[in-house]
Amino acid sequence: MTEPKKDIVESPEQAASTGTLAARLSLSQRAGGVAVPVATVMLAFLIGGLVVLATGHNPLDAYHDIFDGAGLNWIFHPTTSTQTTAAYNLSQTLLQSATLILTGLAVAFAFRCGMFNIGGQGQYFVGLIVANWLGVSFSGMSPLPHILIAIIGATLAGAAWAGIAGVLKATTGAHEVISTIMLNYIALYTATWLFGDGGPLQNSTQPTVPVSNPIASSAQLPVIWGTIGFQGLDIGFLIAIAALVVFWALINRTTLGYEVRAVGFNPEAAAYGGINVKKNLVRAMAISGAFAGLAGAIDMLGYLYQYGSLDVAVSQVGFIGIAVALLGRNTALGVFLGSLIFGGLIYGTTQGLSSNVIQPELATNLTYIIQGLVVLFIGADILILYVWNSRKRLRRQSPPQAPAKAAVY
Amino acid sequence: MSDELVLEMRGIRKEFPGVVANDDVSLDVRPGEVHALLGENGAGKSTLMNILYGLYKPDAGEIRIKGKPVSFGSASDAIQAGIGMVHQHFMLIPVMTVAENVVLGTEPVRDRVLLDETAAERRVADMAKTFKFAVDPGALVQDIGVGQQQRVEIMKALYRNADILILDEPTAVLTPQEALDLFEILRTLRHEGVSIVFITHKLGEVLEIADRITVLRRGKTIETVSREGATEQSLARAMVGRDVLLRVEKPPAEVGDILLEVEDLWVSDDRGIEKVRGVSLEVRSGEIVGIAGVDGNGQTELIEALTGLRRAERGVTRVGGRELHHASTREVLDAGLGHIPEDRQRRGLVLEFSLAENVALHDYGRPPDSKWGWLFPKRLIERARRLIEEFDVRGGGPLTPAGALSGGNQQKIVAAREISRDPRALIAAQPTRGLDVGAIEYLHRRLVTERDEGRAILLVSLELDEILSLSDRILVLYEGEIVGKHSGAASEEQIGFEMVGLKNEAPAA
Amino acid sequence: MSTWSQRLDNPVSDRLRDPASTGYLAIGLGAFAAFLAIPPIEARSPTWPIAVGIVAIALGIWTATRGRRRLGWGAVVGGLLGIGLGILATKSGTSNLELVFDTTLLAQTFGFATPLVFGAIAGMFSERSGVVNIGLEGMMLMGAFWGVYGADKGGSWVVGLLVGMASGGLLALVYAYFAIHLRADQIVGGTAVNFLAYGITGYFFQQFYNGQITGQVSTVPNLHIPGLGNFLEGSIGDLSWLTWASFALVIVAYVVLFKTPIGLRIRACGEHPRAADTVGINVYAIRYACVILSGLLVAVGGVYLSLGPQGNGTFINNMTNGRGFIALAAMIFGNWRPAGAFAAALLFGFSSALALKLQVYSSQASTLFAVLPYVLTLVAVAGVIGRTVAPAADGKPYAKQ
Repeated sequence: MTEPKKDIVESPEQAASTGTLAARLSLSQRAGGVAVPVATVMLAFLIGGLVVLATGHNPLDAYHDIFDGAGLNWIFHPTTSTQTTAAYNLSQTLLQSATLILTGLAVAFAFRCGMFNIGGQGQYFVGLIVANWLGVSFSGMSPLPHILIAIIGATLAGAAWAGIAGVLKATTGAHEVISTIMLNYIALYTATWLFGDGGPLQNSTQPTVPVSNPIASSAQLPVIWGTIGFQGLDIGFLIAIAALVVFWALINRTTLGYEVRAVGFNPEAAAYGGINVKKNLVRAMAISGAFAGLAGAIDMLGYLYQYGSLDVAVSQVGFIGIAVALLGRNTALGVFLGSLIFGGLIYGTTQGLSSNVIQPELATNLTYIIQGLVVLFIGADILILYVWNSRKRLRRQSPPQAPAKAAVY
Repeated sequence: MSDELVLEMRGIRKEFPGVVANDDVSLDVRPGEVHALLGENGAGKSTLMNILYGLYKPDAGEIRIKGKPVSFGSASDAIQAGIGMVHQHFMLIPVMTVAENVVLGTEPVRDRVLLDETAAERRVADMAKTFKFAVDPGALVQDIGVGQQQRVEIMKALYRNADILILDEPTAVLTPQEALDLFEILRTLRHEGVSIVFITHKLGEVLEIADRITVLRRGKTIETVSREGATEQSLARAMVGRDVLLRVEKPPAEVGDILLEVEDLWVSDDRGIEKVRGVSLEVRSGEIVGIAGVDGNGQTELIEALTGLRRAERGVTRVGGRELHHASTREVLDAGLGHIPEDRQRRGLVLEFSLAENVALHDYGRPPDSKWGWLFPKRLIERARRLIEEFDVRGGGPLTPAGALSGGNQQKIVAAREISRDPRALIAAQPTRGLDVGAIEYLHRRLVTERDEGRAILLVSLELDEILSLSDRILVLYEGEIVGKHSGAASEEQIGFEMVGLKNEAPAA
Repeated sequence: MSTWSQRLDNPVSDRLRDPASTGYLAIGLGAFAAFLAIPPIEARSPTWPIAVGIVAIALGIWTATRGRRRLGWGAVVGGLLGIGLGILATKSGTSNLELVFDTTLLAQTFGFATPLVFGAIAGMFSERSGVVNIGLEGMMLMGAFWGVYGADKGGSWVVGLLVGMASGGLLALVYAYFAIHLRADQIVGGTAVNFLAYGITGYFFQQFYNGQITGQVSTVPNLHIPGLGNFLEGSIGDLSWLTWASFALVIVAYVVLFKTPIGLRIRACGEHPRAADTVGINVYAIRYACVILSGLLVAVGGVYLSLGPQGNGTFINNMTNGRGFIALAAMIFGNWRPAGAFAAALLFGFSSALALKLQVYSSQASTLFAVLPYVLTLVAVAGVIGRTVAPAADGKPYAKQ
C-alpha cells in the first residue's frame, strides 16, 4: 500500500513501529526538550504522593522530609563544613549521585548503541569485588599506584562482565536483556558467597560476620568535602564528573562514537558504510560495563571500604541507573541531572530521613515506585505525545511548509 | 441508471497531514467488468481503495454498493458488503497453511470450541478446483511461490463471497508469465459475475485486461474511458499531464576500459540456497549495463557480494583491474566502487543522522573527517554543504536529520555521497523506487552524465522500462544465471521471455 | 527451517537420517552418561559414563559435520559434561549420592518448576499475540505478596489465590495499556513494571505487616495420593494442587492455542497483525486479553511461592528473585510452544532442586550452587540447542491506520 505522503518519520508513533530503540529515544529527545523530563518527574512524584496519601501519610510533609534528608535545604544556609546536618546530608547525596552518574552512563552508552544494559547491577558488583580484592592486597603500596591499580582493575572487570553479554549477542544473537539479567544474579550470588561465611574474600578477623576485609588505607580515595572517617565526599565525585565529559567526547567527537550511534540507529546502513556491527556491539557493551565497574571502584575505595553479603542483597544502584539514563535521555548532561534527582531521593529516603511522617522502609519503596513510574512514562513517551500533539495543532494553523517542486504528489 | 452500477464512489475526499490524497474523486464500476484504476505513485489509487475496504474513513463523499449507500467502519464491514481486497504486500501468514490463511477470521468449528481443520481444507480444495487454482490447502504459505500466494489471497476474498474484488498492483511481484495466468483467472472471475477493480501504473496491462479505465492524477479523477480508443500515449498523457518521454534521450556511449568485472561468481543466501550461479559480467568505462530480472532471481545477492556485504562462495571480482578477494565493504569502497543501494532508508542512510553525518558514512574514519579517532564536525558540515548545493538537495541543510527530507531528496543525498567519492564504477540498485517523476528524471539524467564522465555504471532494476531507457547493454538474470545479453535495440518481448526463463522460444524480434 | 507439522509428515526413515534427530539423540546420550552414575543405577566404575559419553561426542561430531553445527557442538559439550559429571559421581560416596538423588528430588523438581511453568505459559500467550512481556517477574511478585494478603484478610487460600491473580492481572492491564495503546517500547515498559512491582510490594509489605508476616496464613494444600509404590509416592504422591494445576495448564494451553479458532487468531496477531486486521480480527482486543491473561497466570505462580509448600504463608521482599526471567527463558527455550516450555521449566526446576540438594556436600558452597539455574538460562538463551523462532511480529507495536 503506497501511502501518498513523504516518507518522513512523522511522529513518535511511527518511529515506534519502524525505528530502533535508539532512534525512538533520540526522537523523543529532540521533540520534547527539557520540558518532558521535568514533567515526567513531576508526574511520577505526584502519583507517588497519591500512594502516600492513600496509605494515611501526608505526602507534602513526606516530600519535605525527603528534601531535607537529601540535604537540599543546604542551599538555604550554605556552609563549607559538614558539621551541620544539611551540609552532611548534601555531601551524602552527592556521594550517592556520583555512583548513579556512572551506572547511568553505563545504561546510556549501551542505549546509544541500541542495546538495553540491565546488567549494571552485576557489573557494579564485579567492580566492587575486584576493587575490594585489589584494595586489600598490595597494602604496602603508595597511594597513587594502589588507587590506580584498583580503579583500573575494577573498570576492566566491569567491562569484561558486560562484554560477556555483548559477545553472546554478537555471536549467537542472545538478547542482552535476558543475558545481562542472568549475569546480574550470577554476580550477586558470587559476591554473596565471596563475602559470606567461609567465602574466600571474607574478613579474617570476624569469622561469623559475612563481611569482607576493609581495604588498605593506601587505597582509600582522598576526601574533598567532609572528614575521611565520617564518609566525606571523596574525589570519586570528581571522577564521576570526568566520566561525564569522557562520555560526551566519546559519543560526539570520536569515530568510535560515530560508529556506536550509527549501529544504534540503523545497523544495516552502518554495515553498508563499512562499520563492523558485531565489533561495535561488543565494544559498546564493554564500555558500558566499564562505567558500571568504575562505579563499584569509587564506592569501594571512596567510602564503603568493605562490603558484606547483606549489602549485596539490598543494593539497587544499577537499576536506578536505568531510570537515570532514560530520564536523562542518554545524554551526559541529562544523566548528571537525573543522578542528582535520584541521588537525593535515595539518600533522602533512607539515612537522611527523620522518620516522623513516614518510615524509611516505606520511603525507600516509594523511591522504587517513583523510579518505576519514571521509566514507564518515558518508555511510553506519553508526555512527548502530549507535547507533540500540541505542537502539531499550532503548526496546522500556520501555512504548510512549501514543498520543493520535486516533492509534489 | 445507478441500479446498473455495482459500485459508486462520489466526491471522495481524504486528507493526511500535509497532503490531500483524494480530492473529489469519483469511480463507477459496472457488474461483471474489469475496471482499471490507473495512476502514478502517489496519485491516490491505494488511498481510494483503502477507503473502499474500510481501512480509512473518507473526510467527505459517498459510497454506494448496488445502489445502497454504505459507510464502513472497518474491514469487516466492507467484507460483509461483499468487497474483497488483494493487497500489494500480501496479508498472508507465512508459517500457517493455505487453508488456515483462507479461513482466518471465519473459521469452521466442530464440537463448539475446536477448530475444524479438515473442513477448512476441504472447502479450500473445492474452491481451488472450481476456479482452477493449483494450490495445495495443506501447504505452508512460506513454501509456495509468489504466484500461488497471490491466488491464496484471491481465495480469501472469494471465501467471503466477494462480489467486488480489488487488486492492488497485482503484477508487481509476478513474472510476465504469471501475470498472463492471473489475467486468465480474472477473465474467469469476470465470467462468474465478479466485478474487479485493478489498481496499476502499468499501461501495457491496462490495455490487455481492462474493460474501462479511470485515471487518477495528484488525487483527482482525470478521466474515465473505455478500452476501445485508448492508447498508451493517451493514457500516459492523462496520467502525467504532459507528453511523456517514454525513453531518456542520451548520446551514444563512448566505451573504454573494463572497470568492473566479475568472473564465475557463486553466491548463496542465508539459508544456503545458491542464488547467484556462475555469473560473469563486465562493465566498461562510459557505459551503463542494466540487469533485468524479476525480483528474487539473485539480484540482491549479486549486489551484496559485489559490495562486500556478503561472502561469495566462488568467483573473482575486479574493480579497476584490481582483484578483490573476500573483501569487506570498506575495502570494496576504497577500491573505487560506489553503490546507490536499493533501500535508501534501510541501507543508504541513517535517518536520525544529519545530512553531514550521512555524507560521511564511508569516510568518517580517515582524514580530513577525523584523525586518530577524533572527529572534526566542521569539516563534515562543509563537505555536506557543497554537495547539497551541487545536487540541489532541498528540504534542509547539513544539520537537518536525513529523515526530514522527502524520498527524492534522500536519494539525491545518497547519490551525492557516492558520486562525490569519485568511484570508478557505480552500482545503482533500484535507484528510483518510490520517487516521483521529477526526482526520477533528475536521477536518470545524472546517471547518464556520470556515464559520460567515464564511470562504469551497473544498473539493477525491477522496472524494465528503466532498464530499457537507460542501458547501453542489457543482461537478463534468471535464477542466478545470465540468460540473455542484448545491446543496441533490444526486443522487450525477448527480454520478457528471458526473464521468465524461456530462451529462444519466441521468434527473433 | 522445518516446522513440527512438517516433521510429523515426513516418514520415520527420513527422520532417522536427519542430522537433527541424531543431534538430539547425542544430547540425550550425554545426559544418560551422567545418569548412569547416580542412583538408582549407581554404576561405580567410571568406564560406563565414559563409554556412553564417547558415543555421544561421536554422534555430536557427526551431526556437526552434517550441517547442524550448533546442535552438534552442543552434543559434544553434553557428552563431555556427561563424562565429567559421571566420573565425579563415581568418585563421590554412595551415601552422599543417595542423599542427593532420592525420589524427593523429582518432587522438588516439580515444585521448583511450578512457578516457572505458570510464567512460561503466561509469557507464551502474551508473546504469541505479539507482545513481549518482560514484566512477568513483577507480576509474579505481585501475586506472591497480594496472595498472602488475600489469604490473611480473607481467611482462606482461595481468596488469596483470587486476590493474587487479580493483582497480577491489574499490573498486566497497566502494562498492556502502555505497550499496546501507547505503543511504548515493550522492554523498557516491562522493566518499569518490574520496578513498580518491587516498590509496591515492598511498600505495602512494610505498611501492612511491618516487614514480617506473623501468624498463620491459610496455605494451598497438597494433593495426597496414597498407595502408589515407593518411587511414585516419593515423587508425585504429595504435590501441591497448584503443581497439578500447572500440568493441566500445559495441556489446556496447547489445545487452546493450536486447536481452537481463537488460538489461530492469537497466533495470527503475533505473526502478522496487519493480515489479521484485514480479515476483521480485532488485534488490540486480542493482545489486551492475552497480556492480561499472562498477568493472571504468572501471578498464580507467585501465589505458589508464598502460599505453597515452599513459602508456607510467608513473604519476603523480592521473593521471586528472577524466576520471572527464568520462566521467559523457558518459554524461549521451548520455542514458544507449551510442551517445550514445560520441558524447559522442568529442566530449570531440576537445576534448582539439585542446587538445594548439593548442599549436602558443602553448605558454604551452596550459595554458589544457586547460580546453576541462571547459568543454564544463559546457555539456553545463547541458543546452544538449535535456533528458536519467535512469532514474527513479537515485540513490534501495531499501528492501525
